[in-house]
Amino acid sequence: MVRARTAYSVLTRLEAVLAGVFLMLMVLLIFTGGVARMLHHPLNWTIDLSTCFFAWACFLCADIAWRRNALMSIDVWGKHLSHRANRALDYLNYAVISAFLVYLIYAGIWLSWVSRARSFQGIPGVSYSWVTMSIAVGGALLLLTTILKAMSALKEDRLRGTTRCGAV
Amino acid sequence: QETYTLRFNHVLGPNEPFHKGFTDWSERVEERTGGGLKMDVFHSSQLGVEEDIIEQIRQGANIGQNTDAARLGNYVPGIAVVNGPYFVSTIEEAYALADLPTMKKWQQELADEHGLKVVCFDWVQGFRNFYTNKEIREPADLEGLRIRTPPAPIWQESIRALGAEPTAMNFGDVYPGLQQRAIDGAELVYPNITAANLNEVLKIANETKHILLVNFQVVSSKWFNSLPVEYQTALVEECRTAGQETSEVIRQATEAARQKLIEAGMTIVEDVDMEAFRQAGEAAYEALGIVEAKKQLQSEMQQ
Amino acid sequence: MLIVAIAFVVFLLMRMPVAFAIGISGVLFFAQHPELPFTIPAQITVSQTQNFSLLAVPLFILAGNFMNRSGITKRLLELASVMTGRLRGGLAQVSIALSALMGGVSGSAIADASMQSRMLGEDMVRRGFTRGFTAGVLSYGAVLTPIIPPGIGMILFGTIGQVSIGRLFAGGVLPALLLWLALSLAVWLTARSRGYEPERKVRPSLKETARAFKGGIWALLFPVFLLFGLRMGVFTPSEIGAFAVLYAIFIGVLVYREMKAKGFIEALEGSLTDVGAVMFLIALSVIFSYGLVFERVPEVVSGWILGVTENPYAAMILVAVFVLVIGFFIDATVLIIMLTPIFLPVIRQLGGDPVHFGIVFIIAATIGNFTPPVGAAMYAVCSILKCPIGEYTRESKGLLAAVALVVLLLVFLPGIVLFLPDLVFG
Ligand code: NA
Ligand code: NA
Repeated sequence: MVRARTAYSVLTRLEAVLAGVFLMLMVLLIFTGGVARMLHHPLNWTIDLSTCFFAWACFLCADIAWRRNALMSIDVWGKHLSHRANRALDYLNYAVISAFLVYLIYAGIWLSWVSRARSFQGIPGVSYSWVTMSIAVGGALLLLTTILKAMSALKEDRLRGTTRCGAV
Repeated sequence: QETYTLRFNHVLGPNEPFHKGFTDWSERVEERTGGGLKMDVFHSSQLGVEEDIIEQIRQGANIGQNTDAARLGNYVPGIAVVNGPYFVSTIEEAYALADLPTMKKWQQELADEHGLKVVCFDWVQGFRNFYTNKEIREPADLEGLRIRTPPAPIWQESIRALGAEPTAMNFGDVYPGLQQRAIDGAELVYPNITAANLNEVLKIANETKHILLVNFQVVSSKWFNSLPVEYQTALVEECRTAGQETSEVIRQATEAARQKLIEAGMTIVEDVDMEAFRQAGEAAYEALGIVEAKKQLQSEMQQ
Repeated sequence: MLIVAIAFVVFLLMRMPVAFAIGISGVLFFAQHPELPFTIPAQITVSQTQNFSLLAVPLFILAGNFMNRSGITKRLLELASVMTGRLRGGLAQVSIALSALMGGVSGSAIADASMQSRMLGEDMVRRGFTRGFTAGVLSYGAVLTPIIPPGIGMILFGTIGQVSIGRLFAGGVLPALLLWLALSLAVWLTARSRGYEPERKVRPSLKETARAFKGGIWALLFPVFLLFGLRMGVFTPSEIGAFAVLYAIFIGVLVYREMKAKGFIEALEGSLTDVGAVMFLIALSVIFSYGLVFERVPEVVSGWILGVTENPYAAMILVAVFVLVIGFFIDATVLIIMLTPIFLPVIRQLGGDPVHFGIVFIIAATIGNFTPPVGAAMYAVCSILKCPIGEYTRESKGLLAAVALVVLLLVFLPGIVLFLPDLVFG
């Protein structure tokens, strides 16, 4: 259990470091591309490489935002729903989202495989699958986060249940 | 009787002659098959990015796409020669490519091994020229000029071989890019200039005629094979007819656009040293490793 | 498509994150079309992240976070307080002025709104503006971005509709000023009715003003340098965000010397969440609009509208209203690509001017980014500011009214749009 928790915290740290590095690399590559073009030596690969990092950064950041509860939702009900109804909605959401993510992972892997001949930006020998894989990996991370959210909600509910019993 | 639908996507705008050509093609196919085969045409990449659509086609979707030899060259490398500099020099030569044994072999390979059926490629967009703010007569004049090209390595190699610095850029960034001197020119066809009002930021048309752009209509070979034979014939024959008509329309539209640009004050440089450019262009085939493919097609053409 | 729309509403009611709600409901369209490869939703989502014009969004988010840590924002706020401190709603006015400045730099309303939310958002809340009103000002201010040249919307419209892009650029200038005025007035009225007190009672001393200017000079020069980089042709509008990030880091580390390793990492950390929240939604929303495009929904509805009237003004108003409503669901860029070829010929036939129509059309399509239930700029701002959509909607009604009023005015007084293009191009 402890080992699993350590592995997970290493994973999330790695994810954040990679996402940050990708974003900064995008900045540096695009900047370099602009300056090189100004000096009449356009480097066209800078744009290609930065859009590849863009895909990876997007999906890694999506997972970070999901873990930090920063994905926006619309609260239509306000405080009109009971705690129990709210929790039921949470579980329903986690279930639907997990199903969607399983689909995304499957489609992402399948796509990376069948389109492996597609070249990235027409560069011979560089497969677009390197980009496509970002959605499969991102989807897997998002799925892990969703499952952990559901598990911690379950644990909280169980604790709540026992403390209430204990009080009576 | 089962009915079939083809959703056909292309990157060009709705005012381009190609769009009209595709809708003509679609109407005739529908008429000839008594409504059994319908074609729905989407302009401006509304269904998605060209490369995405090609992958969808390979997976068997009932979608079609107007594409070029450079992209098909990703699957069957030799075919990219059609997009090389000074490969064919007249529209008639381009039409004749369809009968060459090697072209047929490559198309078969595209269909059998990659799921891409070339319906026809009689769609000629016309000669590409350099549009700049400096007069260009020989390859040396292009030295140091940043010329916007489509973002594909084959294209960039061709432009580099001809002497310029190829610069990949979104088409949407071209107008402000020229206005603010992030680039020094673009290589396009005449109607592109009038359509995007690029003459507001470009003053000189240099008629290097370095690429005669031939477009390919592709659909899924799996889907194509599922059609009744007479539908297949209708699709292919009407593709060729509509394509050749459209190429003729474009020839005229190019002349009209050229005339319009002259009236608008654009300078036309006609006395270009074509032989020097032709020789420079050879380097592109070498860089891309398709010299043999080119020789093969050219020897078949002469027979 | 009906099922997709219903599912979307149900998911929203379930309080599902909007990004997932929009993506998952969009996938249902593909479930109804088994002839399409099942991989398309994943494929087009990845493609969104390969779209070079969207690259500006993460870049400007990074720029906003780095400006906060570098000390640029702080000095900008000090300067703003000296300059506008005696005005009601001073900081809100600054935000709109900044949008006008940024409008000359970036072509993306979403990028501009995201950056400013990071820079000014919390400070506006701290100074007593409600969260909803703050979000409204930061988001609606960005209506200026696409119509102050260069704007990708005008380039698209000009290319598709074969309208002079130079004329469109010139045509955007006066309407932009008018929109600025209207938004500024709306802010002033709100500030007055709510009794937002001016920050300062007394006029700042000359010394104080001079000090603020000296401190804020690098902040002031920020948009100037960006404009310079753009006009000198070093960067294209899609790339300028990279320059903005490095400028902020450079000033923070070498000039103000306020940004140390810790500040740098914190700025980057914060950006990760912002980029994830904004880009995931934009990436997944393409799944939803695919079905609308595939079934040609906007084209069908437009056909009905144009059957109704033969008066160019009435037609233009109908188009503006329709674009505004459908803009609630579809991105402005997609709308311009789809609808320009449908509407423009009709407007031309009815005797309307294409540049006039273009500006009205682009503004109306951009407003769709700020309105619920689906608006990319609105979601970007609200998720960065943690502002509930309901509160945002309530608090930004006045701003919506102000921009809607300007659109009406522009429809009936084409001279406002056409004066400059006629002056410049004859
Ligand atoms: Na702009
Ligand atoms: Na909206």
